[in-house]
Amino acid sequence: MARFLLYRIFQAFFVIIAVTLIVSFAIRLTGDPALMLSQGAGSVTEEDLANIREALGLNQPFLAQYMDFLKGLLVGDLGKSFMGGISVTELVARALPATLALAFTSLIVSIVISIPLGIKAATSRGRWPDQVIRILSLVGLSFPNFWLAIMLVLLFSITMSWLPPSGMEGFESFIMPAATMGIILTATNVRLVRTTMLETLNAQFVMVARAKGLSENVVLYKHALRNCSIPLITYFGLQFGGLLGGIVVIERVFNWPGLGTLAFDAVAARDYPVLQGVITVLSLLIISINLIVDIAYGLVDPRMRKG
Amino acid sequence: MRKTRVFTHSLLASALMLGSVTAYASTLTVSSPQDPGSWDPIDTFLVNWSSVATNIFDGLTYRGPDLKLVPGLATAWEELDKGSRIRFTLREGVTFHNGEPFNAQAVKFTFDRLLGEEGARGPQASNYSAISEVNVIDDYTVDFRLAQPDPVLLTKLAGYGAMIVPPQYITEHGDEHFNRNPIGTGPFKLADYTPRESVRLDAYEDHWAGAPKLSQVNYRFISEPATAVAELQAGRVDIVIPPTIPIGMIDTIKNNPSLSIVSVASPTVEALRFNTKSGITADERVRKAIIMAVDRDAIIDSILAGEAQSIASFQGALSFGYDPELKPLPYDPQQAKSLLKEAGIKPGTQLQIDVRGNDSTFGEVAQVIASYLQMVGLNVSIRPYETNVLLNDIIPAGRTGDMFQQKWGGWTFDYDNTAYLMYHTGERWNPYDSDPKLDKMLEEQRSLTDQAKREQLLQFIARYTQDRVLEIPLYNVNALYGVNNRVQNFQAAPDNRLRLNEVYIAE
Repeated sequence: MARFLLYRIFQAFFVIIAVTLIVSFAIRLTGDPALMLSQGAGSVTEEDLANIREALGLNQPFLAQYMDFLKGLLVGDLGKSFMGGISVTELVARALPATLALAFTSLIVSIVISIPLGIKAATSRGRWPDQVIRILSLVGLSFPNFWLAIMLVLLFSITMSWLPPSGMEGFESFIMPAATMGIILTATNVRLVRTTMLETLNAQFVMVARAKGLSENVVLYKHALRNCSIPLITYFGLQFGGLLGGIVVIERVFNWPGLGTLAFDAVAARDYPVLQGVITVLSLLIISINLIVDIAYGLVDPRMRKG
Repeated sequence: MRKTRVFTHSLLASALMLGSVTAYASTLTVSSPQDPGSWDPIDTFLVNWSSVATNIFDGLTYRGPDLKLVPGLATAWEELDKGSRIRFTLREGVTFHNGEPFNAQAVKFTFDRLLGEEGARGPQASNYSAISEVNVIDDYTVDFRLAQPDPVLLTKLAGYGAMIVPPQYITEHGDEHFNRNPIGTGPFKLADYTPRESVRLDAYEDHWAGAPKLSQVNYRFISEPATAVAELQAGRVDIVIPPTIPIGMIDTIKNNPSLSIVSVASPTVEALRFNTKSGITADERVRKAIIMAVDRDAIIDSILAGEAQSIASFQGALSFGYDPELKPLPYDPQQAKSLLKEAGIKPGTQLQIDVRGNDSTFGEVAQVIASYLQMVGLNVSIRPYETNVLLNDIIPAGRTGDMFQQKWGGWTFDYDNTAYLMYHTGERWNPYDSDPKLDKMLEEQRSLTDQAKREQLLQFIARYTQDRVLEIPLYNVNALYGVNNRVQNFQAAPDNRLRLNEVYIAE
């Protein structure tokens, strides 16, 4: 077990190096932050630009800049934003809880909707409830999520004035972004629940339970669902990681003070340290989630410990 | 009358320390697209820094929405030694938000800091490089010694890097603290700042021009235009400042009975500039034909919803150096065709226009221009670039197509700022052209202290660039503000430096 763990942590370390190296390198190809900072400055000279680059540390060779970043990373210092010198660690620390809260709420919304619908679809396979649910799921899959978000804002914020159109100010502000993300996720999850449930329903213990004369609800929710839950929990856990990446667009539409908005604005301003910081933290999160899932597997199933 | 009573009441209430309840009625919420991250005047050149900071700081001079230069923290100034020295008489009895007195020392400290080591790390210093030294004459008199003449200096003292900062406070707390906890002499003081989310200002009752009418201004940073407009529609934001509202959303706001669009000509002008060195556009007749082939007024009416003005040179009507007598070349496709024929251009000749890929409005404009050019027999391909790539690599290196988009404008509204950088030989934005006569005129106007003469020369330069057909001057765009009708006394600022001390909210 210790060897397995060590191996996985070693692997995670290389993933982090690769991700940060690619991101740091790629964003430096997209343009000069000194020019972005002095936009609108009428008489900016090459000398001024050079001064700004020096102040931002951009005159250093790429590898030196990257090593500085890594050194900081080891002690939890992600550097300073080019926009006003705010500590990136502070910005990320403020944005991360907002993103996690939204991702978590969206996942809950999706689970609450997709489990009953998925089971319904499985038990009525081929008949109309199944067809309707599958068509709805297809519609859900083909929605662009920002479009759905804008429609919700038009309806609930502007026409009805029920919900705030943007920001994070309490329970009400979670409703629309979580619903948007949740609905998109549900489209995939319903199909997953349906397939998993169908497999389980064919298993012998279900037949035994039915033969014992148990009511259909007890068979479905007590016996079958419990057996489905292992693959489902794994999948939802991994989905949480993917969700963090997909949340960028939704955060922007709802002006959510999370990592997505932070990253989006950082790209627009060529704010290298902020973008590097956000992506590093996101990859660390996703790697940790995967690691936890892997370790959980290893604990359950000795065959997987060899990786 | 009732409004005044309510207002007086709220003032009384705040005096009685009950402000938080009654003052709510006079909180104004503004949506701004970008958080500059630091409020220190020497750190930034972002327009959206100034839309907030104009309320926190004062300069020696002041320039409001009418663009007239009036006294600010200086009550008077005079040029001495043939313009190589300017003497300022300072306003007495002014205090910073922390109670620190404003005086000649504060002015000297501000400019020593701007032109010294601190300033060198930011983009502001170079704009004030004409100043060689600031001398304190007495508590309320300072002399600025100039290393070289700068005809726009007095305007520059009204904004950005020239905002007066408190010496004791900065010395005591350091620059980093000042970035996030700025102190100025302006009509509002910073109350609360959450990076990337919002900044709240409270009225500074002791401001030298009188207490502002609002008790609080709350700025929210919202970068997505659709979201900012939704907040405006929902009544949770009172003013959406430029550059946010896209042309396509104007009608949404206009159709809402409680909202209005307030627009004013901005400093921003758009042009398609020519490769005057090689290709078919090296021929002046071809360049002229291209301009005459495009109906620029139709583009303004159809694509820009009328929110722009046509221009004859690369400047708007508010610019110093603008000549109302100079008219744009007429739209005349027949003449264009014969000019092309004269220049020996065969129908079907290829032409490339480089544009900024993320600028969707200009993308449409370029499409229409392409079809106009098609009608006189030119085959146009539009090549979108990532904005940074176009600005950093393509234009300065002279690797553009036959024509390229140039968006330009400076808050000083002085044609020098455009003309020198666009037309002088060797400048970053002038990769193709070199004209000794033009160079000489551009240099000469910089040394003129007689503003009337300088204006004349700038007007002549504008006419000269039209004669040489150095670009297609397209239009001067408006700055668009989305405003809730409960906001009173609002005056749109062309340069986004929106001072809010006279604004109040109707009940």
